[in-house]
Amino acid sequence: MHLLPKFDFYEAYDMGEACKVLAEMKSEGKIIAGGTDIMVNMKKGLLSPKCLISLARIPGLSGIEPTSGGIAIGSNLIVSKLLEFDLIRKKYNLLSKAASVLGSPLIRNRATIGGNIVTARPAADLPPPLMAMGARVVLKSKGKERELALDDFLVGPGQTKIKSTEILVSIIVDEPPPFTGGDYIKLMHRNALEIAIVAVAVQITLDGPDGSIKNARVILSSVAPKAIHAVSAEKVLIGEKPTEKLFKKAAALASTDCTPITDIRGGAQYRCAMVETLTHRALSAALRQIKGK
Amino acid sequence: MKRIITLNVNEKEYEVAVAPNRTLAQVLREDLNLLGTKIGCDMGDCGACTVILDDRPVNSCLVLAVQANERKITTIEGVADGPHLHPVQQAFVEHGAIQCGFCSPGMILSAKSLLEKNSKPTEYEIREALSGNLCRCTGYQKIVEAVKAASQTMKK
Ligand SMILES: Cc1cc2nc3c(=O)[nH]c(=O)nc-3n(C[C@H](O)[C@H](O)[C@H](O)COP(=O)(O)OP(=O)(O)OC[C@H]3O[C@@H](n4cnc5c(N)ncnc54)[C@H](O)[C@@H]3O)c2cc1C
Ligand code: FES
Ligand code: FES
Repeated sequence: MHLLPKFDFYEAYDMGEACKVLAEMKSEGKIIAGGTDIMVNMKKGLLSPKCLISLARIPGLSGIEPTSGGIAIGSNLIVSKLLEFDLIRKKYNLLSKAASVLGSPLIRNRATIGGNIVTARPAADLPPPLMAMGARVVLKSKGKERELALDDFLVGPGQTKIKSTEILVSIIVDEPPPFTGGDYIKLMHRNALEIAIVAVAVQITLDGPDGSIKNARVILSSVAPKAIHAVSAEKVLIGEKPTEKLFKKAAALASTDCTPITDIRGGAQYRCAMVETLTHRALSAALRQIKGK
Repeated sequence: MKRIITLNVNEKEYEVAVAPNRTLAQVLREDLNLLGTKIGCDMGDCGACTVILDDRPVNSCLVLAVQANERKITTIEGVADGPHLHPVQQAFVEHGAIQCGFCSPGMILSAKSLLEKNSKPTEYEIREALSGNLCRCTGYQKIVEAVKAASQTMKK
């Protein structure tokens, strides 16, 4: 058995209280949401916070609220509940696709969307689709609140722009505009309890039913210290008609945009080749979705 | 510092004093003597520690006992109705789905949760629902057959 180091446990009942306690703890306090990441790290002896502050009893942190142009997802929403919203399945389908392959059903019943973002693993499943949809995160500390693009929030493995006094409260996602399609493809050795060898999230928007590509986001995961934009692929897509030839070109460019490492799950060269294959598949699926096929 | 918490386990209330760094799996086994919940990997990978927490199966090795305060927990000990096995348990026995038995409590609880939400699962849905539970005796085929059979008996 792996014993957890000693710590104090604080259960906050509202946001103000949680921010106050976190500020008082200086950097010795840590938030615990589902605990599926932090407890593993603590059991492995990688982390030993003096106090864990639980968000579980704070009302309003685990729902989905409509905003003027989309939705705000509460940071403490568990992944399996995220999957139960019709709205997510219908309008934000690449997010639900990613959520459905995170960990196992047991993990999904504890793991939260906020924890998946703040933990900032290079292979985390939810940041790529959220970045493809242009998501922003809302951070709260005592008396302060700020909003940041998820692109800017994630810095590197385990590193984000969050301050030790801040709590991630919600994730804001705009409703995909008309003629938008997307996909998330995660390559794994097996279908559960597996982190991605490579994953690709794509969202494209056309300027009309048979129009040109107005906006394109291509996100690559597990092939760099954090999920990244395939910048040259995005550039070549925007302004063009969505043809098979264009998708092939973009996919090839995507594989030059990444810097994977070789590890037990896959070699660098293999990962680059898979980035090309998956980017092409994801773009084709996104277009099929727009065309309603 | 220890906390006094109330756990509602198998419809019985327990008041226990626990240190915050003890997991629900530890407290169930060591304090409540409910040894049906197993600890395998202790890291969320194997599902041997599965319990149902507020209607959802979870890895109890990744839940702090203090997080389960005032919540409803079902362990394998709470599944049978007195001397009568639950249909899922009965099917496991009849279909030879139990070898060493270490994964069985978790498998049965995951299967029971599935059948309560979806009384007619496809084979794929069964395999997916059990995908967080590993069987190191690798008797998966019989386990899936048992869950299918249980879904038939439970429908009747
Ligand atoms: C067996 C297993 C399999 C897994 N498989 C996958 C997988 O396939 N894909 C994947 O992406 N991940 C996977 N994970 C990792 C993990 O389950 C996810 O990252 C999960 O979403 C983390 O959420 P949590 O609520 O459990 O976070 P916690 O462990 O509670 O927290 C994680 C980190 O985020 C911080 N934090 C959490 N919430 C907030 C907040 N609101 N504000 C500020 N800080 C916060 C915590 O302080 C901590 O540092 C797996 C984990 C296990 C144990
Ligand atoms: S003991 Fe909890 S998942 Fe293995
Ligand atoms: S029966 Fe032995 S682990 Fe499954």
